[in-house]
Amino acid sequence: MMKTLSSSCALVSSLALCIFPVIGADDEVSEGEKLFALKVKPLFAEKCNACHGDEPEKLKGEFDMRTREAILKGGETFGDEVLIPGQGEKSFLYLTATRKEKDYEMPPKEADQLTEEQQWRIRDWINEGAPWLDDNRVAMIQKKYAEGEQVETSRALSEDWQNRRYAPEKLWAYRPLNVEAVPSGENPVDHFILGKLKQVGLEPAPPAEARELVRRLRFGLTGLPPKPEEISAFEVAYAQDPGSAVRGFARQLMDLPQYGEHFGLQWLDVARYADTSGFANDYARPNAWRYRDYVIRAFNDDKPYDQFVREQIAGDEMVSSQPATAKNHELLIATGFLRMGPWEQTSMSVFRETRVHWLDDVTDSVGQAFLGHAMQCAKCHDHKFDPVPTRDYYSMMAVFTTTQFAEPEVPFLERENLTGMNGSRQWVQEKIAAYQEQLKVLNERVKIRKKEETAAAKTGDNGLDPGDEASLARMNKNVDRHRWELDRSKPIAFSVYTGATIERKNVGSRITPPEDAWVQGKMEADVILNGGDAFSPGDPVKPAALSAAESLGGMEPTVFPDGEGKRRLALADWIVNEKNPLTARVMVNRVWSWHFGKGIAGNPNNFGGTGELPTHPDLLDHLAQWFIDHDWSVKQLNELIVSSETYRRSTRHPDPVKVANIDPGHALYAAFQPRRLKAEEIRDAMLAASGELNPQVGGIPARPDMNLEVAMQPRQIMGGTASVYEPDPLPKQRNRRTIYTEKVRGLRDPFLESFNQPGPDKSCELRESSTVAPQALTLLNSEEIQDRALALASDLLKARNGDEAVVREAFLRTLGRLPSEDEMSACLEHWSEAAIEEKGKTYEPKTYPVSIQRTVMAEKTGEPYDFDEILPAYRNYEPDLQPGEVDARTRGLAQVCLVIFNLNEFAYLD
Amino acid sequence: MNKPSQQFATPARREVLFGLGAGLGSLALTSLLRGADPLLKTVHHPARAKRCIFLMMEGGPSHIDTFDPKPALTKRHLEKFTRSGEMQSAMSSGERYFVKSPFDFIKAGQSGADMCTEWDHLKNVADDICFYRGCQVESVNHPTACYHVNTGNQFGGDPAVGSWVTYGLGSMNDNLPGFVVLPRTSYPQGGAGNWANGFLPAEFQGTPLRPEGSPILDLNPPPGVTRERQRRNLDLLDRLNQAHLAARPGRSELEARMSSYELAYRMQMEVPGILDLDGEKQSTLDAYGIGDPKTEDFGRKCLLARRLVEKGVRFVQAYAGNWDSHDYIQKAHGALIRAVDKPIAALIADLKERGLLEDTLVVWCGEFGRTPDNGLRDGGESYGRDHNAKAMAMWFAGGGTKAGHTIGATDEIGAEAVDCVHHIRDIHVTLLHLFGLDDNKLTYFHAGRHKQLSQFGGQVIGELLA
Repeated sequence: MMKTLSSSCALVSSLALCIFPVIGADDEVSEGEKLFALKVKPLFAEKCNACHGDEPEKLKGEFDMRTREAILKGGETFGDEVLIPGQGEKSFLYLTATRKEKDYEMPPKEADQLTEEQQWRIRDWINEGAPWLDDNRVAMIQKKYAEGEQVETSRALSEDWQNRRYAPEKLWAYRPLNVEAVPSGENPVDHFILGKLKQVGLEPAPPAEARELVRRLRFGLTGLPPKPEEISAFEVAYAQDPGSAVRGFARQLMDLPQYGEHFGLQWLDVARYADTSGFANDYARPNAWRYRDYVIRAFNDDKPYDQFVREQIAGDEMVSSQPATAKNHELLIATGFLRMGPWEQTSMSVFRETRVHWLDDVTDSVGQAFLGHAMQCAKCHDHKFDPVPTRDYYSMMAVFTTTQFAEPEVPFLERENLTGMNGSRQWVQEKIAAYQEQLKVLNERVKIRKKEETAAAKTGDNGLDPGDEASLARMNKNVDRHRWELDRSKPIAFSVYTGATIERKNVGSRITPPEDAWVQGKMEADVILNGGDAFSPGDPVKPAALSAAESLGGMEPTVFPDGEGKRRLALADWIVNEKNPLTARVMVNRVWSWHFGKGIAGNPNNFGGTGELPTHPDLLDHLAQWFIDHDWSVKQLNELIVSSETYRRSTRHPDPVKVANIDPGHALYAAFQPRRLKAEEIRDAMLAASGELNPQVGGIPARPDMNLEVAMQPRQIMGGTASVYEPDPLPKQRNRRTIYTEKVRGLRDPFLESFNQPGPDKSCELRESSTVAPQALTLLNSEEIQDRALALASDLLKARNGDEAVVREAFLRTLGRLPSEDEMSACLEHWSEAAIEEKGKTYEPKTYPVSIQRTVMAEKTGEPYDFDEILPAYRNYEPDLQPGEVDARTRGLAQVCLVIFNLNEFAYLD
Repeated sequence: MNKPSQQFATPARREVLFGLGAGLGSLALTSLLRGADPLLKTVHHPARAKRCIFLMMEGGPSHIDTFDPKPALTKRHLEKFTRSGEMQSAMSSGERYFVKSPFDFIKAGQSGADMCTEWDHLKNVADDICFYRGCQVESVNHPTACYHVNTGNQFGGDPAVGSWVTYGLGSMNDNLPGFVVLPRTSYPQGGAGNWANGFLPAEFQGTPLRPEGSPILDLNPPPGVTRERQRRNLDLLDRLNQAHLAARPGRSELEARMSSYELAYRMQMEVPGILDLDGEKQSTLDAYGIGDPKTEDFGRKCLLARRLVEKGVRFVQAYAGNWDSHDYIQKAHGALIRAVDKPIAALIADLKERGLLEDTLVVWCGEFGRTPDNGLRDGGESYGRDHNAKAMAMWFAGGGTKAGHTIGATDEIGAEAVDCVHHIRDIHVTLLHLFGLDDNKLTYFHAGRHKQLSQFGGQVIGELLA
């Protein structure tokens, strides 16, 4: 009887009354029924069925929860005590959910545990007789009584998910902008921030001092310290009219090329930028730098953000004909964004797998960067928390299934910096020549000594030294990849085209775009991959984007092209559609986080229900609309933000106790939150202070000095050992801004890494800032800091001022202020004492090896072997200023400079 | 790296002070990081292991030529066949032939554990070892498979096992990092990502003690800078910082940064002592093979590992390799086994003698196993093996594992695990379990999800437990 009941709706409605007293007619819905339809059934679907029903052949503990009778039957442990209708407190279905049943806490993951309220619902439902309803009746009850909000999406993998309801406040990001007007003359930032402060009765902190603000603005907009003359000019202007002084200085700063460099750096965190491929073939992507410079140009030109988005996603599809205009060239360079993730295809990998790896990366990265959605969460199942069905994930992936890698010829733009290319080419050629020379010798030796391939030879006894074959492989591989690296100075773009997919077994050199993109290769099937498995095709899908954004955001439903159409352009247009509820909010929130160290919504890459809700949703929406209305201009948005009183506030609140009580998380902006400089800012600020910073904009990656032990350390690569890291030979080439330094995925600069420079493998929404002892070691002992301190000392002494003037200038350049009396005397004393100590010391000039011997393991023979590697960069290497080149007085001053570079005040912005 | 959320959401707790890993800055740590989080430093159930020495045999050692003899291959030696298909890489496609193991095998110890005769010392501790033949991974690429074994995520970016363990349990010595790595001179493919903290706070990063040069980067002042000079610099630094701090009361991150300089100063004294083996008896050095160029390198690592766990380091990972023997397996595996055999046997005996083995888990594995067959390459036949994700060699000693047993089995030719088969994630779950940690409870909220080592959960392999 029970069996019939649970499977037939006709019977349920006719027999229900006599069997379950709790089941009533349509208009008499019992509490138990309501509990089942509204709470218990969705709870089972979300928390239990993954192990107890979704995969009937893989039931955990032999316990099936798909039907009432199956639950009554129980599993291997609790049997018929699992569900005792009417006795919730005794049923193990409830008891295990309370987590008091040792080793049977359900669900097993603590993070999934049920709230007390959810546990009680299970108990109460059992007490009500544990009624089980058919889908129609569940639907009827849900329609009539459900709380929460349903969201229309493309289509879920399961019916339960499709009918899921969401806490309305978690859906904020999908709703249309709700724009409140602001009284004219008021800065909207202040209007909303002050409004909330007033509500909680918290006074804002007073304005920051001019010298604090000038540093905050200079670093905030250009990532560099203010120059002494800027400080005095700002102080004068600020005393007259703070508002216009800030506005004027901000405009002046945003006109500098360093503005684009600083904002570009922040975008490149989001774009997961690196100059190499990662994984087992972590060699140069020789043309990636052109994308980096495109980003810098875009910010400097204040390219409207909607345009910036379209170009990065679909630049190539925006080139309608093929005229050789700079604009078209720029469009091809912009698509580098799509390829920034780590990727390789070697003879060890299955093409279909690496292809799907890239499709996953690009789908997720586009989702995070532009839509604030970690798409990966919907890859294997419908999203656990957000209205993003797996179908949406694969629909968005289908936008990219006709996207193909290519490095087409794209002429250099007039604005691109081509300096250093000859030197770079020469270094690579010398590297190749050195290997070839060694190869020639070794090949001859191997020819003579290698034995005939006999049975013995097949086991490795072939007459050769342990490292001979390994050396051949290593050098051949490095020669191949260095040859590819020569593309760096050629007019080639790291780009994509639209076409059919060509299966490539091994990608070890440039991919040129085919003549006809649709002839060779095949069209990929646009399907859901079941469980995310590249070899488990499921339902077909069509290219599309986030269906919830359309339905909740009130966007016109968009039909994306498929086949040979421009899928990415359609996606880009969908993203920048002014009705798209996510796009402007996401970018405005990012820019806010770049100024304030945190977003209005706390997770800039995650606007879903698990991201932190916005602290000031009205402000976020107002700014988003303002941004759209102001031509998506990031510069204007910056000006609006930095000219607000909120931005200009002191970091020191007069009543810290009250702030700690009312706003412990500093979410209300009663005072400005201080921040530590980023890794790049620390290095750049030292170079700027010492006068060594080469202000050149753009160009091929610079190779600064790196900790020599790390630089020279053998780095394994498929088939051998990569060439060592060699710096550029001249100080001016090395001492460029850090954004221009070559970013090697597998060889991070330890200085930058220790100051929380993020790894480039995944999009980074916000920098971390932790304090670790190795930072102190590096800022006290590294060659980098020694060089900078000495250079600053030497530069300070060039002006031939008195000692006090020297110390004053040192403070101005590094801290943006003059020293106090106590500081002055402490520094002077330190200086003279150190100078005395330095007198009579002699320093030998450092020497640099032009060849290095290294020992690695030969994988064929399992024995270590030595080899010499030629380091051509050191043939003409000019070190930075060395202690032996200056007098004791300078070296003594350098000790003071070293201390200043280590100060908290240097590392932190007020 | 993304901003950690929830557990460390407030600025004061996000900007934490620590030394080289958990512990060096423990004073500040305790108040800043540990205070409010009940999960940290508590076990979920009684622990069997307190510390782990993870011997990472990078490159993929062949199970068939170490601990899993396959006589059936002898009969099929050089038998040819062809493989193709969309699911095959270039490496695994085309004309192939079976290769027998060049080594003889013995039954070692009372338990009769299988091992090839190249293991001349390990055979003496065979009864202390639990061999496992059921593990499988997903990737046949070195870096992705290494990331998988080390971090639970093929594509990197996630915290290493050692990071998770120290995150869960902390260090047992406030002056040493909780998670130390002893890499080879050349870092593995995928580099330092193999011991990264991922989304966990940076203090849980593995600290590599470099085999050459300065064990910790920039540990010592540059030439010309005396310790006195450094002290005076630090004194001036402190004096100027104090004035800055006085105007900014309550800014804990500034105070933390000031103490980090004192920590750094102390480390310069303490770290070299850890590495100095002078105090060890000659017989100990001999036992580990220190002094013999063939075993010197890994012997030092094993002895250092013992010294580190003895001083309270929670998790030590030592690298050996490269086991990637596509060719000449007899020569290459023979040399590699001889390089690690004596040191490992000495390590197990030494731990046992000191009463440490009971609660020290020793793990030995690579990132995958090797195939029973090989492909024809440029040089024609050379007896080696390609990569195999479906079967591999792995063993455990101590820490609550089942000594003197061999668990699981591979098929007749060693192509695939067929008995007690488990994904690498179950190894991770089991490892945490031995530490008293429940993978499902040891989570960290990041990017919208409670992340865990196994990624989506796994199961304890009960067969491996004593």
